[in-house]
Amino acid sequence: MCGQPYVYAEKALVGWPEVSETTREPDARQLATEARDRVRFEEDALALSDQVYRVARHLVGSREEAEDLMQETYARAFRSWRSFTPGTNLRAWLLRILTNLNIDRGRKQQRTPDTQPLEEGDYFLYNKLEASGDGASDEDRVVERLSQNDVVGALSEVPHDFRDVVVLVDIGDFTYADAAQILDIPIGTVMSRLHRGRRILKQAMAESAVGGEEA
Amino acid sequence: MTAYDPCAHCEEMMQPYMDRTITDAERAEAEQHLDGCTYCRKRYRFEEKLRQFVRQAVQQEPMPVELKTKLAGLRTPL
Repeated sequence: MCGQPYVYAEKALVGWPEVSETTREPDARQLATEARDRVRFEEDALALSDQVYRVARHLVGSREEAEDLMQETYARAFRSWRSFTPGTNLRAWLLRILTNLNIDRGRKQQRTPDTQPLEEGDYFLYNKLEASGDGASDEDRVVERLSQNDVVGALSEVPHDFRDVVVLVDIGDFTYADAAQILDIPIGTVMSRLHRGRRILKQAMAESAVGGEEA
Repeated sequence: MTAYDPCAHCEEMMQPYMDRTITDAERAEAEQHLDGCTYCRKRYRFEEKLRQFVRQAVQQEPMPVELKTKLAGLRTPL
């Protein structure tokens, strides 16, 4: 145990300017504290991995992509742990890394087209589902005409910029402010993208559940 | 000029109403409309159930155990 802090000392200095003769070596207590903080950080981050994965899984198109993204995210988080401020929202911090990595890798080819489909209003999905039934069913059971696949498939069809916000707020339970910080966009943009994103999602669910059936 | 349609207005306000991002006055107005309008009330109840349904639908795919092991393997060796 007594040699342990020096492992961190070496790693901590990798990539740093050469230590001048006047620079004092960090003392053993300082290094031990840092090692303890790092271990705690890593444990906290791993404890959140299920929640981070749930969001990651729906930010990207496939399970494989989500798994790659999770590994890249955690590798970077473990390298950059010192830049996390203890006491702030670690889940949001991890997701900020994840969304940045997601934008860097591949999102360039999948930019949201300039012309967005004109989405329907908020009542569109209900109207479609209601019209597709026999008209005699309980209104509270209309939602049961949707399947899990309708939702998951529809979500993957929502353009990225809108989907990011819908996934963070409606699935990840982040506040508008957290989502704005994670995506580095103004809060007003979060609100407008959320509004449109939900409508686009409902339109896609309607198409999936009712298909080309005419109401 | 188009005539004011309270149901169209309610439809526009539905998301902010559910997200609680509107003023008390707007909220009172929305609630008054929902109390008296079966058409909008049905759709409001549906929206509430839909949000729950979407959340449940996407939570049915847990993180693979192997991934958890891989993430733990990325930790700094002691």
